[in-house]
Amino acid sequence: MIELRNVSKSYAKGRVKAVDDLTLTVRPGEIFGFLGPNGAGKTTTIKMIVGLLKPDRGTVVVAGFDVRKEPLRAKAVTTYVPDTPAVYERLTGLEYLNFIGDVYGVSKKDRLARIEKGLEVFELSSAVGSPIQSYSHGMKQKIVLIAALLPAPRVMVLDEPMVGLDARSAHHMKNLLREHCQGGGTLFFSTHIMEVAEKVCDRLAIIHKGRLVAEGTMAELRSRNGTKESLEHIFLELTET
Amino acid sequence: MSRFGSLVRTALRVNFGLSLFRPREILRRKRDLWMIPLIVLGAASLGPVLYFYLKIIRTVHGWLAPTGQQAVLITAAVLAGQVFVFIFGFYYVISAFYFSRDLEILVPLPLAPAQVMTSKFAVILTNEYLTIALLVLPVFVSYGLLEGAGAGYWLAAGLVYLFLPVIPLAAVGLLVVGLMRVANFSRKKDVLIIVGSLILMTAALGGQLWLGRSAGASPDPEAIARIFASSDGFVRSLGAKFPPSLWATKIVAGGSAGEGLKSAALFFGMSALLFVGLVAAAGKLFYGGLVGLGETSGRKKALGRRALAGRLSSGRRPVRAVFLRELRIMNRTPIFLLNGVLSVVLIPVLFALMAKTGSGRSDIAGILKALGSANPVASVLVSALFMAVSGCLNGTSSSAFSREGGQFWLSKVIPVSPRDQAKGKFLHSYAVAVLGIVAAAAVIRFTVRPAASVMAAAAAYSAVGAVALTSLGMMIDLARPLLNWTNPQKAIKQNLNVLLAVLADLAFFGLLFLLAKFLGRAGMSAAAAMAVLFALLTVLSAGSYRLLLAFADKRYPQIE
Repeated sequence: MIELRNVSKSYAKGRVKAVDDLTLTVRPGEIFGFLGPNGAGKTTTIKMIVGLLKPDRGTVVVAGFDVRKEPLRAKAVTTYVPDTPAVYERLTGLEYLNFIGDVYGVSKKDRLARIEKGLEVFELSSAVGSPIQSYSHGMKQKIVLIAALLPAPRVMVLDEPMVGLDARSAHHMKNLLREHCQGGGTLFFSTHIMEVAEKVCDRLAIIHKGRLVAEGTMAELRSRNGTKESLEHIFLELTET
Repeated sequence: MSRFGSLVRTALRVNFGLSLFRPREILRRKRDLWMIPLIVLGAASLGPVLYFYLKIIRTVHGWLAPTGQQAVLITAAVLAGQVFVFIFGFYYVISAFYFSRDLEILVPLPLAPAQVMTSKFAVILTNEYLTIALLVLPVFVSYGLLEGAGAGYWLAAGLVYLFLPVIPLAAVGLLVVGLMRVANFSRKKDVLIIVGSLILMTAALGGQLWLGRSAGASPDPEAIARIFASSDGFVRSLGAKFPPSLWATKIVAGGSAGEGLKSAALFFGMSALLFVGLVAAAGKLFYGGLVGLGETSGRKKALGRRALAGRLSSGRRPVRAVFLRELRIMNRTPIFLLNGVLSVVLIPVLFALMAKTGSGRSDIAGILKALGSANPVASVLVSALFMAVSGCLNGTSSSAFSREGGQFWLSKVIPVSPRDQAKGKFLHSYAVAVLGIVAAAAVIRFTVRPAASVMAAAAAYSAVGAVALTSLGMMIDLARPLLNWTNPQKAIKQNLNVLLAVLADLAFFGLLFLLAKFLGRAGMSAAAAMAVLFALLTVLSAGSYRLLLAFADKRYPQIE
């Protein structure tokens, strides 16, 4: 469902390699965890998947569409949640959701059902008519998540989605994302929370200094590293400089 | 470096984006090279404006010199500069003192409130030096050269220029700090900006009317005789409205040494007094007014199922969605609203007041009426120009992309083609332009009262021309969108694209004027020349709109 082939991206005229020859495949219906230390290249990779950054080399294919050659088709099946919920603060929560519904072409019936569900799960019904600028950080994160689920996308790409969420909301979010994948959707997300990655993800990848250092299921990672330790242990070992 | 020095240095670096300014990078990265001719063109287009300004100064100096009244040029420049700083300083002061996001970083630091506020004052002061440079410096320099002034003049002029913005800025600062502490508007910053702006605009309009009335009143021959009898009669007459401009004139170009020293004591003393007062007020009131910064009303608005369903649309309608987003964000952000929507209404209203302040046939409306009846073609073109200027010479189109700021990522990830997004934005900018055209048309209708055919023709010309001007403004902004702002003011009021677009618009008007002149000289009849102009405008508008859409397709993927 998501394919990265020999993708590279550098900054400062090639002096800083953010992503270095990354090849990765995410299968349909999979929850894929993308891990790495700060500055490892996670966000750069994610931004290349959703079309925010242009790779220097390599190709990114989402649902069979090359994101450079057929960007609109790739975007039509993808939604994205950034690491900071920078959304239109002057719109109300509902206006923002309606905007997303309009640009993705969601029918009124689906819009109503999905918005109601999202608002209920994330306990945001009482604030949806207020401007987003009056929301707390966590509330903004929730409205962005509801918006990302609204088009029922085939692919969801999330950058640190747990940041700012309380324990209850994080729990609900995990359930919703699992539900999304059970319905055939694919999920690609980055996180620093090892426990979440270990419990939620079907497969994982660890990136370090722009290069892929491990990929597979939890069991595969353990067997490759000859350990029965936790993901945190494996992560620390693989990302030691 | 001292703590305070470091604070000011950092504030200036942030304000002018010095850390991001890499001229060598631009030269090395060929894709940004297009900016160089654009900047050169922008600077070059200031040339004619400056040339005419200098010519006017020289001419007025020539008129006044025989009666020894030429120092009134200095008074007028200082007065204009200080009024400019006072009016626009309000926005700068309020957003820098209370609504800039770096306050969340600065307030917890071990710095005194007065230090934080003074660093912000230094940044605004630097901005003001640049803002009023074009207005004031040509007068100071021309006057010095024409009078063959010595070193004393240049020293005094330099000192006066450095202190010129202090009085109005400190006065505005005191007003704002006091207002924030007393009313604690911090949770209703939008209300404060709108109410404050309306108060200032009313004051400006009131002042305009007052000055107009006093100028338009029947002249007292004795008063005129008194003005001419004294060598500084004009200076005193003008400076009486605002004494600091009188003091500044006396320091730079005035009479005896004793009088100069007295004026210097008054001018610099008043500046120091107001500044010290502001620093003292900051120590006591500044952080008090900040309580609640970043907080908003705790009341939230819930919606029932029926209300929710009633507000939802259906299906895919990207252009409409982008248009509505632009409309809502513009109208709900006070700085955007005041500089875009409100200004297109305000310009014609100001004109109407100016036109009505004179008396009898000496007023502007009377002159235009006479011009219209003598030459209907000129009447159409002047009316169309006024409508187009009212509708288009604002920052709406030339900040259409910059206004998105940090939210531009959304425009990059949504499944809407760049040309569809540009269409939605164009519709919004054009709607604002049409509002300005309608406001200007109403003002023309009620002041000049031209024939209906003249009104209709002028409206048609301006409506078609506005397509080209809107597209041009949007293309300039799309070429170099300012997306990393933390204060909405930077997106529209301090955005170079807005100035570049105004200059481009003026060049556009200039070209049309030259063409009209050429057609007239070529012996073409007025009707035929008008038809050629209209056809050309239509082609230019259609072409520029298509170019905008194509440019959006090319440019969007490049913006990272």
